[in-house]
Amino acid sequence: MSVELRIAVLLGLLVLVAIVGVIWKLRTGTAKKSGSGERVDLLELKAVKNGKPVTSLTTNVTFLQFSTDFCTFCGPTAKMLSALEVADPNVTHLEVNVTERLDLVKKYNIMQTPTTLVLDRKGNIQSRIGGTPKAHTLISEIGNFDI
Amino acid sequence: MAKATQIDPRGPRFGAAIINILSIIILFVALDPASEGIAFDLLLVAVVSFAIGTIWGNTKHPFGWLFRTLVRPRLAPPAELEDSRPPQFAQGVGLFVSLLGVVLHIASVPYGVAIAAGMLIAASTLQAYFGYCLGCQMYLGLKRLGVIRSA
Repeated sequence: MSVELRIAVLLGLLVLVAIVGVIWKLRTGTAKKSGSGERVDLLELKAVKNGKPVTSLTTNVTFLQFSTDFCTFCGPTAKMLSALEVADPNVTHLEVNVTERLDLVKKYNIMQTPTTLVLDRKGNIQSRIGGTPKAHTLISEIGNFDI
Repeated sequence: MAKATQIDPRGPRFGAAIINILSIIILFVALDPASEGIAFDLLLVAVVSFAIGTIWGNTKHPFGWLFRTLVRPRLAPPAELEDSRPPQFAQGVGLFVSLLGVVLHIASVPYGVAIAAGMLIAASTLQAYFGYCLGCQMYLGLKRLGVIRSA
């Protein structure tokens, strides 16, 4: 292969990867409306909050975050969402580690962690956020509820 | 696998930048059949690097040491620390891909080394310059496919 062709292959690959990277940067952490109307089953979820099992949702908005042990952005995301919970009495943050919960991974079609489901008071999934949520995404998600 | 510790996330990204440059050189050399042997030798360097990272983790890796002694003193303290396990898992994915290149080359598959180098370029570019850890991202996917059974 000639030098020119090799450089062309290399540059082509790098441009392609850069496009993927830019698209990922733009899309990660944004909310996607969920049209399924699916409701989260709290008994099956087995979420734990402050050492107690969660059996009911008590706030208008719940950010249900799915994490794994192999997740770069799960920690920072949890920090961000729990800060939001402290700042806003209408918000609850739940985190479930799905490393050994393949049932949940399949049920909620989790392709990446963190994946955050935005739930209303009844546990209906309003939207889902893949990756580290962007600050403006969270603000507009909370704004979608009549508080 | 080593115990989980908190590390500066820029460490693995620095390592990925070195792998990125190495794999760009490998691809360039591998695309010419006349010099594919040299590319194969360089790929073995990548295999060794990923093996060290997979077994001992990013901080005990020579690139981690380079980062701590040369780069980190010149940077501001990190805004966040990250779990050491995801980048270590990603090192394992890198090891698999580079070994795949070795196997393809030994099996005389045309452009075998180049294919592996291309995959390494893609993953290391996303990690080094976008902060997107493709290897970490693959964890759930591999688990869903049943490739990994338990952590």
